[in-house]
Amino acid sequence: MSGPNKKGMSLEKKHNVTGWVFLIPATALICWMSFYPMIKAFIMSMQTGIGINLTFGGAANYLRILKDPTFKQCLFNTFFYLIIQVPVMLVLALALASMLNNKHLRFKGLFRTAIFLPCATSLVSYAMIFRSMFANDGFINTVLRGFGMNPIMWFANAWTARAVIIIALIWRWTGYNMVFYLSGLQNIEYSVYEAAKIDGASPVQSFFKITVPLLKPTILLTTIMSTNGTLQLFDESLNLTNGGPGKSTMTLSHYIYNTSFVQSPNFGYAAAMSIIVLIMVAILAVIQMKVGDER
Amino acid sequence: MRKKIVAAMLASMMVVSLAACGGGDDGSGSTGGDTKKEETTGTDEKKDDAADDAVAATDDENTLTVWCWDPNFNIYAINKAAEIYAKDHEGFNVKVTEIQSDDIETKLTTAMSAGDLSTLPDIFLMQDNSFQKYATNYPDIFVDLTDKGIDYTQFSEAKVAYSTLDGKNYGVPFDNGAAISCYRTDMLEQAGYTVDDFTDITWDDFMEKAKVVKEKTGQPLLTQQAGSTDIIMMMIQSVGASCFTEDGKANIVDNEAVKKAVEIYSQMVKDGTLLEVTDWDQYVASINNGTVAGVINGCWIMATVTAQEDQSGKWAVTNMPKMEGVGEASNYSNNGGSSWAVTSNCKKPDVAVDFLKSTFGGSTELYDDLIAKGALATWAPAGDSDVYNQEVPFFSNDKVYAKIVDFATKTPSNVTGPFYYDARDAIGVALSQITQQGIDIGTALQEAQDTVDFTMGG
Repeated sequence: MSGPNKKGMSLEKKHNVTGWVFLIPATALICWMSFYPMIKAFIMSMQTGIGINLTFGGAANYLRILKDPTFKQCLFNTFFYLIIQVPVMLVLALALASMLNNKHLRFKGLFRTAIFLPCATSLVSYAMIFRSMFANDGFINTVLRGFGMNPIMWFANAWTARAVIIIALIWRWTGYNMVFYLSGLQNIEYSVYEAAKIDGASPVQSFFKITVPLLKPTILLTTIMSTNGTLQLFDESLNLTNGGPGKSTMTLSHYIYNTSFVQSPNFGYAAAMSIIVLIMVAILAVIQMKVGDER
Repeated sequence: MRKKIVAAMLASMMVVSLAACGGGDDGSGSTGGDTKKEETTGTDEKKDDAADDAVAATDDENTLTVWCWDPNFNIYAINKAAEIYAKDHEGFNVKVTEIQSDDIETKLTTAMSAGDLSTLPDIFLMQDNSFQKYATNYPDIFVDLTDKGIDYTQFSEAKVAYSTLDGKNYGVPFDNGAAISCYRTDMLEQAGYTVDDFTDITWDDFMEKAKVVKEKTGQPLLTQQAGSTDIIMMMIQSVGASCFTEDGKANIVDNEAVKKAVEIYSQMVKDGTLLEVTDWDQYVASINNGTVAGVINGCWIMATVTAQEDQSGKWAVTNMPKMEGVGEASNYSNNGGSSWAVTSNCKKPDVAVDFLKSTFGGSTELYDDLIAKGALATWAPAGDSDVYNQEVPFFSNDKVYAKIVDFATKTPSNVTGPFYYDARDAIGVALSQITQQGIDIGTALQEAQDTVDFTMGG
């Protein structure tokens, strides 16, 4: 119907259509693999019952969450990890990144690899290695004894057990975040630093006045990702401490898992808790973007 | 602004993938979004591979697929059984997949939730303590084995009870978890005792003697994984009590047996006569390295004890102490043990049932062979075999197998119910609160009761 010179569509429209065609496969996949299960999970969260004997219960599961002391305990644990671990890790990552960004540093590649390497280990295996390191007669206590100090029963006390999880998390994820900062730092002209130096700025000043403001988008990104990741913390809780002692190191995801697969299966309740985690992540992400992004 | 919304949605997507998997598959946690995702996919892939390996039921008339978990023990047993069965049934064989017991349970849960049983094998092995949970929640998994020619009267009653629900038999009993006490005779000797001083005694007596052993040798008498309730549960069953009432309600805080057991346990931790370790590896190490002078557990713990061959002749087996003052005190209990079940996905249940009937429910030859692996039959006729009366050099030529079969027959039966593990976990939490955080027994048990009531109320 359209001849070579007759336009069925304007150029702009054509571009638009092409764009949409390229988007469709990804969109369809996301809808199918993410949004559809999301909706299903939401429907499931409205059902109550054990095993497959599910009946519609409306908001019963959500009301149940309010009365669940274990949920509160796990929520506390998760936020404790979040509040302590994320800032410590990000500050450390930023410090390491700016040190490694120094042009005069030798063996830079070696250091970078060494710091990033923990990220290449499997979550389960590193958790198990940490568990054996912090065992009663493990490596850490042997070292402590070597220094003439009393060994610590790391996993017997709630606070030391939480500390072990945080240490493990920092070890595992600092390098990962550092890489983001490094790539962010590559985009900052070196001449800016030189100019600052000529103007008499100390390294500390140039860090706070140049590096931090210019890295803000990256910092925001890593904060959101880390928050998101910590709220879903699972492997460490399961493999490192198994939630113990008692339930004092158990995370929300671990509790959700237990509710579905370890205890008598209550999928409706587990789904409801997952939805709550989703809402929390979304709220935190929005807050962080509001605070961090001035555009 | 739109960008922000999209970003927020993307950021929260991962959580949802978690919610989507029926509330927390292994949505691996972490502190950095993307790598985490890769990791998750990584493990998922691994899992999928495993699922592919886990052979489901076949149409082949002569082949049965089986899921069980221990190459030295139950896998060996089922292969041996197939060998024996094949003598009369030309061409018969089994295809065994090694899957850990909790993974089998997860697979069953997943298959049932998805409403697709086609991934299940013909036969699987299930822990006795989990049996009620699955028979109650997912009865459709099992083939009813009642009146299929298996003579259940030849098994011990307590054992059959695990796999029976509403008068229907869903399992064929396999191994025995009769509680035994193993002691290091050389250490007892240093304290001036022999193993006879620890036979048929009460816990009160035991605790006093344990103090003497601790004083004389410096070794605690018992070991236990912190937060694990093995010993507590054995004590409770030894008086025929349970964490549940007959009508299935949780019975923890007002249960004298539970209270007494927890009291004994926490007192021993205080006395330093019971060593709490953090994980299973350390538990095994504490036994094998001589950190402790004894251990109480299901008789399968013998495999661990005898693994240290240079300690041959230094160990002895006897019954566990009895808990007086609550219920009918006995020196016998049970921990662990498992039963075979046939799935409804099995295309040839007659073959499967006949196979189990004529081997695990009818072959002395099979059980005679299995004894070397520490698999003690719950099938009574096997206990009459000469093999059970053999002397075991490791235990100073004591006839330990005959002893354990005798223990097993005297073990009281108790109510387990579908929420058994929920109760067990709750008591485990209470236990660590008591021994590690110094919370008083009443408060901790009340919390355990509330937890179980809460779970059951869902």
